[in-house]
Parts: sequence; C-alpha cells; structure tokens
Amino acid sequence: MVGITKGERVFLIFNYLFMSLLVIIMIFPFWYLIMGSLSDAKLAAGGGLFLLPEGFSLDSYTAILQNSSFLSGFKTTVITTLAGTFLGTFFTATTAYAISKKRLRGAKLFSFLILFTMLFNGGLIPNYLLIKELGMMNTLWALILPNAISAFNIFVMTSFFRGIPDTLEEAAKIDGANDLTIFFRIVLPLSKPVLATIGLFIAVFYWNEFFSTVLYITDKEKWQLQAVLRDLISNTSQVLQSSGTTIGFQKNISESTVRMAAIIVSTVPILIVYPFLQKHFAKGAMIGSIKG
Amino acid sequence: MVVRDRIGVKNVELQKEQRLSTGVKIKTKRSIWKDFSRDRYLYLLLLPGLIYLFVFKYLPMYGIVIAFKDYNIITGIMNSPWVGLEQFERLFRTPDFSQIFFNTLIISGLKLLVGFPAPIILALLLNELRHMAFKRFTQSIIYLPHFVSWVIFAGIIMTFLNPVDGLFNHIIKGFGGEPISFLTSKEHFRSILVISDVYKEMGWGTIIYLAAMTGVNPDLYEASRMDGANKFKQMWHVTLPSIRPVILIMLILSLGNILEAGFLQIYLLYSPLVYDVADVIDTYVYRRGIQEANYSLATAAGLFKSLIALVLIVTANKIVKKSGQEGLW
Repeated sequence: MVGITKGERVFLIFNYLFMSLLVIIMIFPFWYLIMGSLSDAKLAAGGGLFLLPEGFSLDSYTAILQNSSFLSGFKTTVITTLAGTFLGTFFTATTAYAISKKRLRGAKLFSFLILFTMLFNGGLIPNYLLIKELGMMNTLWALILPNAISAFNIFVMTSFFRGIPDTLEEAAKIDGANDLTIFFRIVLPLSKPVLATIGLFIAVFYWNEFFSTVLYITDKEKWQLQAVLRDLISNTSQVLQSSGTTIGFQKNISESTVRMAAIIVSTVPILIVYPFLQKHFAKGAMIGSIKG
Repeated sequence: MVVRDRIGVKNVELQKEQRLSTGVKIKTKRSIWKDFSRDRYLYLLLLPGLIYLFVFKYLPMYGIVIAFKDYNIITGIMNSPWVGLEQFERLFRTPDFSQIFFNTLIISGLKLLVGFPAPIILALLLNELRHMAFKRFTQSIIYLPHFVSWVIFAGIIMTFLNPVDGLFNHIIKGFGGEPISFLTSKEHFRSILVISDVYKEMGWGTIIYLAAMTGVNPDLYEASRMDGANKFKQMWHVTLPSIRPVILIMLILSLGNILEAGFLQIYLLYSPLVYDVADVIDTYVYRRGIQEANYSLATAAGLFKSLIALVLIVTANKIVKKSGQEGLW
C-alpha cells in the first residue's frame, strides 16, 4: 500500500467529521422529542433545545396510554399489520415461486402482467370506487387487502427462488414429491431469509399506513394508529380534555409534551424491529432483480 | 420414366412431410396438456396471486373508463353516459390546472435535483470510511428515517417549525428576530418539502449504490494507484464509472416518477394558505374526487398523470437500452 498524501489525510478527517455531524443531525429530532416528552410541562413551556429533559414527568405518556382512541388505533394497526404481513408474504411467495419456474407455460406472460402493474395503475379514484363496489367500505378488509401483494416484492422473491439449485427439486421428484410438497417442505424452509426480509418490509408498510383510513374508514374505532396519531398531532387538546385536565393543571402535561409522547410511542415498534430489518435489507434492496 | 420417377419421389417426400408435420402438431398439442397437467400444482400456487392482481390492479384499470363518462354513483360505471374527452377539456380549462401541473413539476424537479445526487455523493463518502464499526453505525442511523412514517415526520416538522414554541423559532427569537410561521408561508413551503424529503430518504438511497460499490474489482484501485491516481481521481475514474448502470436505472425510475411530487408529505403539511405553491396533481385529484365526489373529472386528472409517467418510463428505458446499458426490463 502506497502512503496517503496530505490532501487525502485532510479529506479523511473531514469525511469523518462530516459523517459524525450527519449522525447527530439524524438522531437529534428523536432525541429532542424523547427529552421534550419526558419534561415537566410547566418548565418546558416556551420550548428549548431539550438536550436533557426540563424537570421530569411521565404524565404525557400516561395520558397517551390511557387515551381510548390511541389504544383502539393501536389495536387496529396490530390486526392489519399481522393479517397483511401474513397474507402478503405467503401469497407473494406462492406467486413468485410459480413464475420462477421457466418451464411453466405462460410464466413470461404472467411476469409481464405483474411488471405492468408497476408501470401503470388505475389511480386513486378507480381504486376507491372498487373498494366501494366490493362492499369493503368501513371494514378492516379495505385496510388489509389492497396493499397485500406488490409486484416489486414478487420479483425480489422470484430472483431468490431462481437461485435455489434445481437438483433439490429433481431429487424430491424422484422420491415422488409433487410441486406442492416441494414448495412447502423444501423451498419455504430454505427461503427463510427472503421471507423474513419481505415480511418485515410488508409489516413496516402496514404499521405506517395512514391514507387507507382516510379513504375507507368512517368509524373511529377502526382507525389505524397513524390516523389517530395524525388527529392527536393536529388536535392535542382532546387528549387533555379526555384525561380530565386543562393545560398545566393537576398533571404536568401540555399540548406539545403530549404530541411528542404520541410520536415516540408510535415510533417505538419500528425501533424494536429495526435491528432485524437491518440484518436483512441489503438483500431486499437489490433492485437489479427486477428482471422478468 | 425419369420424370415420372421424379414426380413419384416428390410425392412420397410430400406425403412424408405432411405426415411429419401433422405428427408434430399432434405432439405439441398433447404436450401442452401434458405440461399443464404436469404443472397443475404450480398453477394452483399461482392462482391466488393472479386473482388478486385481476381484482386489485386490473379492475381499477377498467375503472378508468369513467374518465370518458359522466359517472354517477347511482347509475354505476356501466350505465353512465359516455362523454368522450369532455372531462379532459373541463380539466384543462380549469384555471388552476396549469398552476397545479407546474407545482407538480417544480416540486418533483427540485426534489430530483437535490435528492438524486445526494445519496450518490453520500455513498461515495461512506465508501471511503475505513473504520468498519463507525461505517456500520453511521449506516444504521441514516437509514432509520426511511422507516419512520410521514405522519410521524410531519409531526416532527410541525413540532420544530411551530411558531409559538418550535425550536427554529426559539432560535430566531434568541437572535432577536420575529417568529416565522413556516408552514403557512408560500415563500418557505417548497423548501420545507424538498429538505424534509431529502433528509428522510437520502440515507436509505445510498444502500443500492453501496451494494454496487462492493462489486467493484479491487484490482482497478490497485492499478489506478500505481498510475498515480489519488483518492479523488479514483472516485471519479474508478468508482463512479463502475456504478454507472445502477445510477442509470435509478434515473429511469426517478424520471418515471417525475409527476409524483410526494402526495402524503404534501397532504400532511399543506393548508389552503399555501395551495398556490403546494397543490399538485395528486392532492387535486383527492380533493376534487374524494372530497367533492367529482369522480370523472378526478379520474381524468389521474389518468393524465399516469399516462405521462408511463410514456416517460418506457422512453427512458428505451434510450438506456439503446445506449447499450441494461434497462429495467
């Protein structure tokens, strides 16, 4: 290795400084919200830098976790996330496995039909009218089904399945296994990494989904968490009212501390799955696999 | 005699050919059925996915016909009267529409201008970090905002930019300035959209380039070093050319999305005060279609957008393929 020049050393130092600064800028908003939400509302009034909490109070969290619409939103989102992730991952896998077999008659046509949905779609209004015509308005199905299978995920899985050696399938066929047995007993167990990747991405999608509620749900008990959160963020006073207090009275909460606490509570589940997600996503992000 | 023989031979050959060709035909027909029955379980696995695609992706495409009708919820899609291109004429006559189209292009164009090179530069810089633990730590932090929902992000933006107790105005007041109501200001709104979008997505955007950079042959760096290239020259002459195919593919994708100005982000942050600078095709479709039940007009606006996107992505892909690079399909 040839020694590095002076210019390069300066560059390296600046590079490390720049990256450290970037990390701080990326963490700061979340740090700020955590510290702010833990603050005593009276001391925190008027804002601040919140490098550390101003005083200490968990009352904002208590108020959020006792809020009935927040809890029902949590419940709806857990249901839609579990159902959507299971259905989505499973049927993405079945579809991808079938089109990964080049010997299958029509595989090319089916791949094209799937690819085409990435290039062109009906758009907002026709999708909305479809849900209406299917009688799914105001049901959890409207939150689960329209987004369960995506073309992109199918292609990621297809390319994974193509990497499984054919000899495994041939050996199983000699032992008298049919395609269903091969898929369930051999291919699925071998595909745990890609199933986990796609499953986690689908789960995060459902956890973050907001607009389906705006479009399809009128009953407030069926709102997804993000919709409830949106409502809380733009209209915090209702939490204060429902927890039987006005600002700065009895409890140490204010509109801004409650808003911060709501944001943090909704982000925590993402932070919990994030390390698992990170383990897998380098594979999932390989866009080069969009080849029919 | 010779002639007859020849004819005879020809006849035999002809018959042979016919027999052969019919034989082949029968064989292919049989093997189609054979293939179908051999792969019946694969078709069974495919079936739910196909039904799903048909119902949730292709039926809405059929629903586009209401852009050419005067759709009425009572008469339904089938029985509503055809009106030809009247909805499109109405749309283009709307005085706001040119403004909305312009907003869409300018917001999305600014996002592309800043947001497209940002991850490439960031990936080049990350690629130069030799301290692996620090590199991994930096990566995990800058990927994170991508997984946080726009609802939460909008909440964060509103908290920071709040005119009363937001951090930014706290700082402005600290310097003796007047607090600014950023989100209702026509002057600042687009910058907020661009900055927050780049902030949220640039880290995640590096992942694809970093993956491509790990594939660069280390011998190339060695050789260029021998030739006296320094780090910057290596970045410019080795790393960048090696990841060019990926950059091109990402560019095709971005061009196909040039009319996607970021519906959710705008919807969550805008207000009537900034409609002039922030209203884009998607928000217009939502307001006219869902809120005002102007289904046909809104569908026409949506179709106008998706057709342009389709043409753009197909053209971009063709150009890339013609230049000898691998396209998207």
